[in-house]
Amino acid sequence: MNKKQVWIFILLIVILCFSFILASLIGGSELKSAKAVYYLFHPGSYGIERDIIWQIRVPRIILGLLVGAGLAACGTVFQGVLRNPLAEPYTLGISGGAAFGVTLGVVLAVSGIYLPFLAFAGSAISMFVVYAIAARKQFSNPTLILGGVMLNFLFSSLVFLIFSVSRAEDVHGVILWLMGDLSSAQNLLIKIIPVFILPSLGLLLVFSRDLNILTLGEEKALHLGVNSEQVKKILFITASCITGACVACSGMIGFVGLVIPHFMRRIVGVDHRVLLPASCIAGAIFLILCDTLARTIIRPLELPVGVITGIFGGIFFLSFLMKSKRWKIF
Amino acid sequence: MDILKVKDLTCGYDGREIIKEISFSVEEGGFLGIIGPNGAGKTTLFRAISGVLSSWNGNVFYKGKDVSGIRPCDLAREVAVIPQVLEIPFAFSVEEFILMGRFPHTGRFGALKEKDHEILEEVLHLTDTSSFCGRKITELSGGEIQRVILAQGFAQQPRLLLLDEPTSHLDIAHQIRILDLLKRLNKKKDLTIIVVLHDLNLAASYCDRLLLLDDGKVHKTGSPQEVLTYNIIEEVYKTVVVVEKNPVSSKPYVLLVSEEERQKRGSK
Repeated sequence: MNKKQVWIFILLIVILCFSFILASLIGGSELKSAKAVYYLFHPGSYGIERDIIWQIRVPRIILGLLVGAGLAACGTVFQGVLRNPLAEPYTLGISGGAAFGVTLGVVLAVSGIYLPFLAFAGSAISMFVVYAIAARKQFSNPTLILGGVMLNFLFSSLVFLIFSVSRAEDVHGVILWLMGDLSSAQNLLIKIIPVFILPSLGLLLVFSRDLNILTLGEEKALHLGVNSEQVKKILFITASCITGACVACSGMIGFVGLVIPHFMRRIVGVDHRVLLPASCIAGAIFLILCDTLARTIIRPLELPVGVITGIFGGIFFLSFLMKSKRWKIF
Repeated sequence: MDILKVKDLTCGYDGREIIKEISFSVEEGGFLGIIGPNGAGKTTLFRAISGVLSSWNGNVFYKGKDVSGIRPCDLAREVAVIPQVLEIPFAFSVEEFILMGRFPHTGRFGALKEKDHEILEEVLHLTDTSSFCGRKITELSGGEIQRVILAQGFAQQPRLLLLDEPTSHLDIAHQIRILDLLKRLNKKKDLTIIVVLHDLNLAASYCDRLLLLDDGKVHKTGSPQEVLTYNIIEEVYKTVVVVEKNPVSSKPYVLLVSEEERQKRGSK
């Protein structure tokens, strides 16, 4: 890491801390800010404000942090391995499978506790299908992307099929979930998801040097001593697990995985040893801030956070793309 | 001792056989040129030797060991492969890119040491790419990238260097410079070189031995004088040529004859 990158990291971590504090101080119910600050730094005290902050907001922020970091990391890895600027959990069909699982569960009146598991199962199924297709074609990149996009089409058609034949009240909850939602943070998921995501992120980081070399293509990577097929498998499965876990507890939050890596590549460069952790932190910041906005913009009602990430991410990205002539996406 | 030995190699794509029972060997310190018309299987043979394409039949041995049984990391410390085209989608800096050649030596966790940076300086100097330092690889021209890729290959410090058309994007000055460099490393450091070349005259001037491929088979192998005769070339390339002696090097020199000239001569 050079000096510039060290400063960017320090800056990112400061912004992350700041976002964390900001997000815990404002929300659906208004708290006096002086009091809120007191309770934030005194988690042992009693009072309804303390409970709001420590039992509702903080778990949700932690979930946002993990999901944001996870999705951004997956996007970075998929884009790198597949050498494709469009690769992210969405375009690979993994989110589509999860959506199908949950929709099916809701219509069949499965209890809410099990929905995340259905989401995970759905994403696992699409992961295996995409993987099986790709494995037959020596993991050629166009096959993976095309297979993923097709699978997403298939699953979203199935979801719409279910919608069209079921009653509106039944599907309302699913529609909110499909738009991405962090409000499920209070239940036991918050305890499970770090166990999934943190070791997986660590594993991705271990392979970040291999990932650098894999961006030169499988053949060149092989000639530089990377066991391309094996490393690709490891990265693909790990990233899919993270995606599955993220989608299971927060629905389909688009854009984080697609946009964050592009931005961070421009800021810290393309070396994945730096890019991957930087994307994680940036993804976490982005999702925490978007969720804060989603909770407060029309309070006491809440918007699904996926709507906010889509709108802000989209506008931000497009305007940047139009303004900067020299910016090559890849 | 043979550094590379190919025995009854047969391979291809999607059930179509491209390379048909090819056998040859290269001595340590040799400089072999692979030549042949388009579609003869030069690049396929190259990919099979470099371990990308698995053989259907037959074997490739590196220093007596079957290549398919050697771990990629171990092989990459000994053999560097320079492909014909390399698409580099990400904007790595030239130094970052060349230092990737040190990966097989440092491994996944090893930090780059003083020695690796010395090697970087050395290969930058060798390939005349020092002036590219600090630039992004995506900003370079085709010929410049080709030299940087070569620098990365040298950074691997290989014993055997495989090159597929290393001069295809280079102007004549850089063609000669790169091939001179290969020749120098071949002579001084005993680096074994196998190179696929289109240009018969470059092949004749630089290679000790030539392997002429035709339709997936070895048509002829031997010294440039033995392989580059007008009847062999006319038979394989199906075109009229005149082979003269290069007045400078006294190696064979292949002259092409245009249709207009052929008709003129024919009518006389």
